[in-house]
Amino acid sequence: MRGVWLVFKKEIMEFTKDRKTLFFTLAMPFILYPLLFGMIGKLGRRDVQQARSNQTRIVLIDPSSVLEPHLRLLPDDFKFVDVPEGDIKDAIKSDILEMVVTLEESAARDLAEHRTVRVDVLYNKVETSGSVGMQRLEKVLKEFDKTAVQSRLQKLGASAQLAVPTEIHSSQVGGQELMVAKVFGSMLPYMLMLMLFAGAMQLGIYVTAGERERGTLITLLATGLPRHQIIWGKLVYIFFMGIVISTLNIVSMAFSMGVMFGSLESSGAKLAVDGQEVAIQSLSGFTMIADPVVIVLTLLLMIPLGLLFSNFIIFIGIQAKNIQEAGTAMMPVFLLVIFLGVFSMAPGIEKMGILPYIPIVNVSLVIRKLFVQQASVLEYVVAFCMTVGLAALLTYLSTKFLNRESAIFKST
Amino acid sequence: MIQVKDIHKTFVVKDKKSRKKKTIEAVKGISFSVKPGEIYGLLGPNGAGKSTTLRMIAGLMEPQQGSITVFGNDTKADSEKVRNTLGFLSTDLGVYGRFTPRELLKIFGEFQGVDSVVAERRGLYLLERLELSDFADVKMESFSSGQKQKVSIARALLHDPKAILFDEPTTGLDVLTAKTVLDLLKIMKGEERAVIVSTHVMPMVEQMCDRVGIIFNGKLHGDAPPKEILSQYGVSTLDEVFFKLAADGGMA
Ligand SMILES: Nc1ncnc2c1ncn2[C@@H]1O[C@H](COP(=O)(O)OP(=O)(O)OP(=O)(O)O)[C@@H](O)[C@H]1O
Ligand SMILES: [Mg+2]
Repeated sequence: MRGVWLVFKKEIMEFTKDRKTLFFTLAMPFILYPLLFGMIGKLGRRDVQQARSNQTRIVLIDPSSVLEPHLRLLPDDFKFVDVPEGDIKDAIKSDILEMVVTLEESAARDLAEHRTVRVDVLYNKVETSGSVGMQRLEKVLKEFDKTAVQSRLQKLGASAQLAVPTEIHSSQVGGQELMVAKVFGSMLPYMLMLMLFAGAMQLGIYVTAGERERGTLITLLATGLPRHQIIWGKLVYIFFMGIVISTLNIVSMAFSMGVMFGSLESSGAKLAVDGQEVAIQSLSGFTMIADPVVIVLTLLLMIPLGLLFSNFIIFIGIQAKNIQEAGTAMMPVFLLVIFLGVFSMAPGIEKMGILPYIPIVNVSLVIRKLFVQQASVLEYVVAFCMTVGLAALLTYLSTKFLNRESAIFKST
Repeated sequence: MIQVKDIHKTFVVKDKKSRKKKTIEAVKGISFSVKPGEIYGLLGPNGAGKSTTLRMIAGLMEPQQGSITVFGNDTKADSEKVRNTLGFLSTDLGVYGRFTPRELLKIFGEFQGVDSVVAERRGLYLLERLELSDFADVKMESFSSGQKQKVSIARALLHDPKAILFDEPTTGLDVLTAKTVLDLLKIMKGEERAVIVSTHVMPMVEQMCDRVGIIFNGKLHGDAPPKEILSQYGVSTLDEVFFKLAADGGMA
C-alpha cells in the first residue's frame, strides 16, 4: 500500500502547487456563497419592504361607488390615480401604476338585488408591488363579502353561520422544525451530490486524462509501482478532494443561507419552498435540524457515494485520450447525477416501492428520510451496501483497464 | 543482462477510409541480448519497430509471443521488479509542469524506493552533469523541450538502474547537450550497466555502440559490432546499409 500513499501524496502536492486551482477550489466557496446569498437577501428584503411601505396606485372604475368608500378608508394602502394615457397594460408594466379595478355600472343594483358583483382586476403578478396590491385588495373584498353575506342572511332571517359551513383550525403534529428539516433534507442530498461530483470531476480529469495528455502517465507507469496502487492512489485523491470540496461548499452555503434568512426574517417576509410557505424565522435556526446522529449517518453515506463518483471519474478519465474527451464523456454522467438529484427532490416520490433499490437515488432518498426521522435500517443498509458494491466493481474495472496496454498507448 | 527471445507484436488499427480493421505486424520475431557493460544500438527507419521493442522490454507492452528477461526477471511475471531495475526514456514523455526538477526527482525517488538522502544526492549530481543545476528550483512548465528532456534523463537514471533503455535520447538536443548525454551513457557503460539506445544518428552509433542491431520491417538484420556489419554488407557507412536494405525491401 506504499504506492497508494505515494501517489496520493504526489497528487496532493501537485494540487497545492498551483495557486489558481487552490484558490478556485478552496477559497471560492467562502467568497461565492456569502456574496450570492447576501445579495439575494438584501434585494429580497428591500423589495418586500418597499412594496409594503408604498401605496398601491390604483385606477378604480366604479361608476356606482360600491367599492370606492371601502378603499378610501385605507389611505395608507391605496392611492387613486387617473387613467393614464396610452395602453393601460403598458402603464402597469412600466410601473406607472399597480392595478386597474373595474366594476360594472350595474354593480350597486346587482348588490341590492342579491346578484354577484363582478370585479375585474388587471395587475402584474411578477412584481412584488403587484402581488402586494392584490393581497390588499383581496383582504378588502373578503371583509366586504362577509358583511354583505351577513346582511343578506339577516334580511332572510337566517343565522349568520349559515354561510360558514366549515372553518379550519389546524395544528401541526411535526412542528415547524420538522417541516424545515424536511425542506432542508430534501435539498441537501442534491446539493451534496452535485458538489461531490462537480468538485471531484475537474481534479479527477486532471490526474487521469490530463496525465495522459501531458505525457506523464507513462513515466508513472514505468516506475516500479504496481498498477493497481497507482489507480488506488488517484482514487483516494479524487475521493478525498470530493469530500473536502463538498463539505466546504455545504458549510459555506448553510452559513450564508442562515445569514440570509436571518436578515429576511427581520423584514417579516415569507418564503415559498417546496410548495409551502415556511415562516422565515424557523429556517434561520439551522441548528435545530442538526441532530448529531442524523449528521453522522448522512456523512457516513457520503463515503460510499463519494467512492462511487470517484470511481466513475477514474473509470472514464483513464480511458479518455485527452482532457477534452474526458470532459465530453463525463458530461452525460454529470447530467444524470443532476437529473437523479432533482428527481429525488420531487415531493412524494418516497412512496415509490422500487426506489430503495435504484443506486444513487436510494442514497438521496435515505438522506431525505433521515432528516424527517422516517428512514428504516433496512433502507439505509441497502443503500450503503449497494453503493459500496458498485464502487468496488468500478474500481476493479478501472484497474483491469489500466493493466491493458491499449490504455497506456492510446495516442499512437 | 537483457535477453530478448523471438518476440512478436501486432497491432490492430482501424482504417478510417475503408472502415476495415488492419493488422500491423510491428515486430516479427526479434532476438538479441545485451550484456552488462555493453551499449547496444537499435537502428532502423521510421516505423521499423524500435520503440515497440523498447516498450516491450520496459514492460509497458507485452509481446504476443516470445519472452524477455531483464537481469533474470521475466517482464511478464515480474514486471514490477523489471521496472525497478530499468531506466526508461523516450521522446514522448512529459514532465510535471507544476513541479521543479528537484521536487520531481524527490517524488520519483520515492516511487522507485530509493532512500531520500541518496535520491537527493544522485538527483543533484545528474542535474549538474546535464548542466541544469541553475534550474533545479524552477517550475518546469516554463522549460524548453531540451530542458524537459534533460529532466527526463535524470529521472530515468535516478534509481541507479542496471538496465537502461533510451529511445532517441538526443532528439531535440543541441550538439553540446547531445554530447553530454552520450558521455553520460559511456559512464553508465563503465559502471557495468546494460544499455540499449535507439537512434537515427549514425555517426553516434559507429562511435560508441559495442554492438548494433538493425530493425527493418519488424525484423532484425545483423546483430554485430558496427565494423562487422559494414563488412558484412560491403559498405563503408551505416547509412549505406540502410539504402541497401531499402533497395531489396528488407529481404537481405
Ligand atoms: N499503440 C499502437 N497501436 C497501433 N499501432 C502501433 C502502436 N505503436 C506502434 N504502432 C505501429 O507499429 C509500427 C512500429 O512503430 P514504432 O513506434 O515501434 O516504430 P519506430 O521504429 O520507433 O519508428 P520511429 O523511428 O518513427 O520512432 C508502426 O507502424 C506503428 O504505426
Ligand atoms: Mg520510435
